[in-house]
Amino acid sequence: MEFYLYVALFAPLVGSLFSALFTAKKANKITGYVASFLLFVSFVASGILLYDVWHGGSVHVHLMTWINTGGLYIPFGFIVDNISVTMMMVVTTVSMLVHIYSIGYMDHDEGFNRFFSYLSAFVFSMMILVMSDNFAGLFIGWEGVGLCSWLLIGFWYHKESASWAANEAFIMNRIADVGMLIGIFMIYYTTGSLQYDKVFAALPSASPYVVTLIGSLLFIGAMGKSAQFPLHTWLADAMEGPTPVSALIHAATMVTAGVFLIIRSHALYQMIPNVGEFIASLGAFVAIFAASMALVNRDIKRIVAYSTLSQLGYMFVAAGLGAYWIALFHLVAHAFFKSLLFLGAGNVMHAMDDELDPFKMGGLGKKMKWTLILMVIASMALAGLVPFAGFFSKDPIIEASFVSHHYIIYATIWITAGLTAFYSFRMIGLVFFGEERYKIFGFHPHEAYRFMLLAMAPLGILSIIIGFFRTPFYNFITNILPSTIYEVHPEALAWGMNIATQALVVLFIWYPWQKYAKFKGADKVFEQHFIYKLLFNQYYIPNFYNKCIVVPYTRVSNFFWMSIDLKIVDATVDLIANTLYKTGKKTRYVQDGNLSSMLKWMVFGLVFLLLMAVAYGLAFEYPSKIAEILLNLGVH
Amino acid sequence: MSIGLGHYLILSIILFAIGLVGVMRRKNLLLLFFSTEILLNSVNIGFVAISHFHHDLTGQMFALFIIAVAASEVAVGLGLLIVWYKRQNNINLDQMNSMKG
Amino acid sequence: MQDYILSIVIFFPAVAAIFGFIINKNSMRAYGVAVGVIEFILSLDLWWIYNPNIAGFQLIEKIPVIASFGINYQVGMNGISLFIVIMASFFTMIGIASLTPTKNIKNMIITLLLLQMTMAGVFLALDAMLFYAFWEFSLVPMLYIIGAWGGPLRIYASVKFFLYTFTGSLIMLVGLLFMAYFYYQTTGVWSFSIPDWYNLVLPLNYQIWLFIAFFIGFAVKVPMFPFHTWLPYAHGQAPTIGSVILAAILLKMGTYAFILFSLPMFPDASKYFVYPIAILSLIMIIYTAMVAYAQKDLKQVVAYSSISHMGIIILGIFSLNIIGISGSVFLMIAHGIVSGALFLLVGVIYDRRHTKMMNEFGGLAHVMPRYATIFGIIMMASVGMPLTINFIGEFLSLLGFFKESHTLAIIAVFAIVVGAIYMLTSYKKVFFGNITNEANRHLPDINARELLALIPLVIIAIWLGVYPNPILRPITKSVTHIVEIMHDKEAQAGRLSLVSNPEKLALASQATREVR
Repeated sequence: MEFYLYVALFAPLVGSLFSALFTAKKANKITGYVASFLLFVSFVASGILLYDVWHGGSVHVHLMTWINTGGLYIPFGFIVDNISVTMMMVVTTVSMLVHIYSIGYMDHDEGFNRFFSYLSAFVFSMMILVMSDNFAGLFIGWEGVGLCSWLLIGFWYHKESASWAANEAFIMNRIADVGMLIGIFMIYYTTGSLQYDKVFAALPSASPYVVTLIGSLLFIGAMGKSAQFPLHTWLADAMEGPTPVSALIHAATMVTAGVFLIIRSHALYQMIPNVGEFIASLGAFVAIFAASMALVNRDIKRIVAYSTLSQLGYMFVAAGLGAYWIALFHLVAHAFFKSLLFLGAGNVMHAMDDELDPFKMGGLGKKMKWTLILMVIASMALAGLVPFAGFFSKDPIIEASFVSHHYIIYATIWITAGLTAFYSFRMIGLVFFGEERYKIFGFHPHEAYRFMLLAMAPLGILSIIIGFFRTPFYNFITNILPSTIYEVHPEALAWGMNIATQALVVLFIWYPWQKYAKFKGADKVFEQHFIYKLLFNQYYIPNFYNKCIVVPYTRVSNFFWMSIDLKIVDATVDLIANTLYKTGKKTRYVQDGNLSSMLKWMVFGLVFLLLMAVAYGLAFEYPSKIAEILLNLGVH
Repeated sequence: MSIGLGHYLILSIILFAIGLVGVMRRKNLLLLFFSTEILLNSVNIGFVAISHFHHDLTGQMFALFIIAVAASEVAVGLGLLIVWYKRQNNINLDQMNSMKG
Repeated sequence: MQDYILSIVIFFPAVAAIFGFIINKNSMRAYGVAVGVIEFILSLDLWWIYNPNIAGFQLIEKIPVIASFGINYQVGMNGISLFIVIMASFFTMIGIASLTPTKNIKNMIITLLLLQMTMAGVFLALDAMLFYAFWEFSLVPMLYIIGAWGGPLRIYASVKFFLYTFTGSLIMLVGLLFMAYFYYQTTGVWSFSIPDWYNLVLPLNYQIWLFIAFFIGFAVKVPMFPFHTWLPYAHGQAPTIGSVILAAILLKMGTYAFILFSLPMFPDASKYFVYPIAILSLIMIIYTAMVAYAQKDLKQVVAYSSISHMGIIILGIFSLNIIGISGSVFLMIAHGIVSGALFLLVGVIYDRRHTKMMNEFGGLAHVMPRYATIFGIIMMASVGMPLTINFIGEFLSLLGFFKESHTLAIIAVFAIVVGAIYMLTSYKKVFFGNITNEANRHLPDINARELLALIPLVIIAIWLGVYPNPILRPITKSVTHIVEIMHDKEAQAGRLSLVSNPEKLALASQATREVR
């Protein structure tokens, strides 16, 4: 099985390096084909590993030593167990389909080869992240996906906004990584190792305080990668990248790394339920917070991005409450329907020459029938309508919060479920139905290539059927994860809750449908409302960050340079040097070049030294007498 | 009264003072050399006298060294002086100030 | 030949430099490259004959110079100096090979060869006086390089560089003399041999004063805040090759000296000063990173980033444990490779546009894609991306220091944020966006000569990031030895005396030829 592990891991790297060879050349379809094929290879290898793990196997390999010094030993070790193989399947499936899709999407782009190189490199990093058997390896992947995300968000580097967003994403992730790195340090000094198995075996004997600290610090890292409040702003800005990137990185895989980290370290988080509650509360808050911003946004990609944020909140609720298997299941289902939604948005953008404002679209359904169908499937899955994926993965989270008596969280995410339906179908209504407003702006939309639609089709099918695999998945994953079942009792109440949720969802699908599918023009009064403005400006948080962090940082940096470094530190040095120099300049007149005056100086000096010597000699000879004389003079 | 070490040393000091004043006051380079010679010889007197009264020949040896050094110094100095005179047509000290600090 | 290999490594470039005077001007570059390659191969030979079983100094050569005062010509190497010497000769080699056509190239090459001699000398010297001689002499070629080939402010910069470091090292000289005097007091014989000094146990108050004297000399060289202001000027005015050598090798002299002198000779004082020095390092890390962010000149960004990284090195050294010190030695190598490469990269655009101001550029990724790629890789190494060389050094240094102090280490970890901020912002200013300045529209991409210098650096930066063991293992071995000396002395601190088990320490350093 080791062979398949290495194939699954390194095939994307080979694809990336192959494409990298062509970066200086003209766009060449071959890179896309090769990279996609290698992803397919990786997918097949992951499938074989899944088969093996399903039947009770597990692979743990040790590739080579990475760092070995002074008692610290970190190998490149990889593990394929129930958790990582699930992640591998998600990553390879989505990335393979996104690769194929991108062949069409990036068709006319000059950086075609470069794009595939980055994209495959991302998959490689992600595979390291999920397969590593120690925290250092996880951190390699963690930073690696950050790097690839930076490259891909800033892919169209000629756009100022794109490179700005890329830097923002990277730096914000770095801030979170500080927490993560310190967490890793603490793990090492607490347990003496970074290997998962050893760490989780040793942690129970550590003091609860330290364990809490470690859990919190690791969660800070997870907050950055999964864009949880207050480090969430980068995700919406990251939509500057090409849409397949958003589908792969900022919906399906990288942003879920934080959730993965919590699930991977479930042994740690089980020890600290109070931190878990905090995670769940923050998750619930982010769920409704992000959903509210999606309600009014005028950018289809950002709407989907906020919905991703909101769904990540759901996952954290589940993970925080200890329902790890539900979190993982939602992660899987979400990966499929959310990447589908993004790819659909990509089709729309392609049709509309990269226009993003849904208010300029409308009636696209006629031209883009297949995209419409796939998008509706994805939206229904997202909204959690029976029998789509979301119903089976999201509703259990709501139930779990109810069962574990966290009623505030329950209420929050229950309302969020309604909001989710609202913004999804607001977008569908605005984009695909109603008046054909795009004609005013002179767009000529067209359906995407057939193979792009074919690449999306598996995601569509998975979005429909994945929910039915919940029970086998449960049996599979609870080999490792705690097998808590969250069932509402009595059964009637469970039925009632399900029906209530469904009713809410249907209501919130029907309402925007009514309003936006027959959209005539923006509601001016509504748009002047304070709440609308607040939501539209993302609670003014980006402004706040800019004014309170970016600008002061720049100012302080300038102050440090101009006022402290140059005017104080360097000036002090120069002052000392200048004092010496000026003293020399002043006293140089002693050396006026006139021999007789110089001789006079010499004689004075000689006499002075002579007198000093005599005085010193006397003082040395008669110390007591001198003391007496001084005493008589009144000096003590 | 017999002439003792003190007398020699006083002579040496007097000569040294004369030489020192000469070095400080004279503006003519040639006279400066004379003063230097007086200085050196005053020291020589001191050395030889002390050497004699202490029965240690080192002082006299040192005096011989000083004579030799003084001679060579004068030789070099006079050579420079002649070159200077040929160029500047005088040997006035106050005009020898091209080596300002 | 192997018995004298260290002397050959030190003096071969000097001899070659003297012969350089009679070489024809046109064939000088070929001659320089040839000498550089031979020197590099010789230093690689050191690695080949390096005996990994010896933790202390090996290949020791000892020739009396002033026997009555115990001043010898004594050289030797350990796992720490080995790699710095290899790196020095490597940079000399590629430095000469990638030299842009400039006035008086003959003198430049001769100067570089002399500089190589002093660098090898500093890192291989085992006699304090010899060390001091090389330490000071290394200033002269550098002074000449900045002063003769520098920018408009070159005289100011070079004089500042020279006087500042010279003043610092004079104070160090006083420390050296006192150290020898204390050795004389204890044993009755004079010795300037560093391995001998390792056997000396000093009372804490002596240690503190000597530590301060040495510290000033080293701190100016590193340069540590607040002694750092000569560095931006020196870098700002120096020609590319000068900056490369300065950043890659000369700065490491200070940190190497901390490990050679301060830790094993003054273990208690080192412990005593951990916090003040750690705070200075933190200021270096955060403050200079912020100053770097404010810079408008690309080269100054790199210069200040050097100071920031040196802060992490110092922090690692004063973690006083094996992980931290090994990490900081590794980071010395890493920073040498990365900052050397960064200065070479800045030199590339300077050669084309004769300006380093970032607002003159923008959108260079369009016209110079290969250059942008290499710059990007090296930049990522500089911000400490895992699987690049810098990460291992930074990770280990910070991990080591975390053991010493949690709070300060937590602040230090923010280095990875502030580092990313200035680097990414500068990269964006230079490479991203559209081409705004017409002068950049037809810039030629990086050429073969420049690639020749940069590709090896890129390969090393990634190779040692993925597989650091070939150099991490010898480093750890020697660092363990140093830490053992520290602990041995701590156990018997107090009176001025020799360590009670000197044979262990002395043998570790003497047992060389026999093994060979």
